[in-house]
Amino acid sequence: MRGSAIVRHVVTFGRVLREVGIEVGPGRVVDAVRALGAVDLTRQEDVYFTLRQTLVSRHDELELFDRAFVAWFLRGPVAPLVRQKEQRRRTELLVSGSLTAEGDAAEPEPGDAPVELGASSHELLREKDFAEMTADEFERCRRLIAALAQTRPQRASRRRTPDPRGDRLDFRRLVRRSLRSGGDPVERTWRARKVVPRKLVVICDVSGSMDAYSRALLLFLHAVVGAGKGVEAFGLGTRLTRLTLDLATRDPEAALARATANVVDWGSGTRIGASLKEFNDLYGRRALSRGAVVVVVSDGWDRDDPVLLGREMAKLARAAYAVVWVNPLKGNPEYQPLAGGMRAALPFVDRFLPGHNLRSLEELAAVLAGIERRHAA
Amino acid sequence: MYAAAVTFRTIDELDAALRGADYLPDRGLATALFLSLALEKPLLLEGEAGVGKTEAGKALAQALNARLIRLQCYEGLDVSHAVYEWNYSRQLLHIRAAQEGTVSEDELFGREFLIRRPLLEAIDTDERVVLLIDEVDRADEEFEAFLLEVLSDFQITIPELGTIRARRRPAVVLTSNRTRELHDALKRRTLFHWIGHPSLEREVEIVRLRVPGIPERLAQEAAAFVRGLRGLDLAKPPGVAETIDWAQALAALGREEIDAEVVEQTLGSVLKYREDIEAVRDDTLVGLVEEARATADRL
Repeated sequence: MRGSAIVRHVVTFGRVLREVGIEVGPGRVVDAVRALGAVDLTRQEDVYFTLRQTLVSRHDELELFDRAFVAWFLRGPVAPLVRQKEQRRRTELLVSGSLTAEGDAAEPEPGDAPVELGASSHELLREKDFAEMTADEFERCRRLIAALAQTRPQRASRRRTPDPRGDRLDFRRLVRRSLRSGGDPVERTWRARKVVPRKLVVICDVSGSMDAYSRALLLFLHAVVGAGKGVEAFGLGTRLTRLTLDLATRDPEAALARATANVVDWGSGTRIGASLKEFNDLYGRRALSRGAVVVVVSDGWDRDDPVLLGREMAKLARAAYAVVWVNPLKGNPEYQPLAGGMRAALPFVDRFLPGHNLRSLEELAAVLAGIERRHAA
Repeated sequence: MYAAAVTFRTIDELDAALRGADYLPDRGLATALFLSLALEKPLLLEGEAGVGKTEAGKALAQALNARLIRLQCYEGLDVSHAVYEWNYSRQLLHIRAAQEGTVSEDELFGREFLIRRPLLEAIDTDERVVLLIDEVDRADEEFEAFLLEVLSDFQITIPELGTIRARRRPAVVLTSNRTRELHDALKRRTLFHWIGHPSLEREVEIVRLRVPGIPERLAQEAAAFVRGLRGLDLAKPPGVAETIDWAQALAALGREEIDAEVVEQTLGSVLKYREDIEAVRDDTLVGLVEEARATADRL
């Protein structure tokens, strides 16, 4: 293969990768071309690794890459590659469809209209159960929800910044100032620990029974993820899926639609215990939950044995700094956590909160901002 | 600039040198290390715990006959631990010892009062260096941003001294356990390789290399047994490091083969969690031992 042919091949392959959703910048293509110049092009394995190592930077893209490689270079028969653009269009349709459907179902009754226009509408909106909101009301909640998300749990960083009320001497400045006094540290300078946001992990039930609430909570999450680093979001249903990237890059409604499609097998019920196990095994093992505040959002209806849920919650609670459970059903004053799953989980929960309306989200935000470790030794 | 591309002209040459350093890379890893040298780009290695990410960096240093400089990352790692720090007590003593008013600030912040930490050490040297930045995902993101600067320009600025530029670029290997996703900008500057668990044959080969004198049969059974463990649903599946530890223990006990009894006695060097040890008891354990022996028969 001549040089220009290689360039053409790599550029086109880069385009194929982009089409399946792998982000390939021009810098990577340049690297790939340079790298191919350094290896033996007759060894397919070397060409494969060379392209993979230069063009892919994420573990979860490896599978897509492999399929694209087989399809493009080996011209092998493969399952059709999912084009993200089309998928996106589908989810958009799905989302707008569901919005209209809900809007129709909750058509405002004539008597409701003055309330919505009145001065106290904001107050009323705060108290209104998400499940009972019209699409229009929900739309107005968006901004309020986003504002709530600015508060984050904090922790003391190891890093220190100059601070006259600090608890450690700032030697660099002290030495400099001691010059004037012949080496006597007359003027003391201090540094204090900086306070930085604590890791926050949110695992949100996106199964059918949670539909109305998970939409609101995902908006909340979207704003939290946008508010800073160190936030991870997951959706749980029949399985677990990581939502962090979707929430960081997409419209939250589209992310929710995708999560629901990915995670929920209709009619097979929610498997909270199994999903948490997946979380603990995959992410907990890599210390994602260590030292984090973990928020589980779910109504606690688990199809599986509560024993599994209890065991996984225990594991989670051991690794986490604090565990918060948000259950929209708790908004009902008559609610008692009798569902087997909820009862099994509660012993390992530091704070148990409702999450059915704006006011309860405010409460959640306040709890997150000031949370202390209850189960600390 | 260093002449790495001249040192190893092909992947096979590097592969042979790594083997000489008692490290058996698979083709993918050898390719990754080779490209990292050829393109002078840092290499990011990700994979489950215990698959030999750190070892790869060490072996590269040995293969290149270079000095290994290791920076272990942790939450809160800062510039004074990673790059440099001023030696304050020496500075104060120096002021005191000198005649009053004769010490200038320039003198005080000169090189002899500088404590060099790994990153500065790797940049400011004439030696051949492999810089191993271990578990970069554990450091916080402010540090990652700083690292990004260092890895793109290979230079470090110290306000009192000015900018120090690398005279020859160190080979850089970063490892991550993926506790969090690293910043895209950092990833753009690195080659990426995912290390999986080795194949059974390779793991046997690794054990025999790292535990000299181990009976071949024992190495095969141990590797097959650990492979069986990885198929179970464990909190922490054992990595290659655990296989080696365990094989060492078995060899030290003078075993030629494994049986349920000796496995039970030594399981603690393979599994590090109480739940995992409890999950591999009685029937499960006997079954795994039988399976491992049968697998070894086929090798």
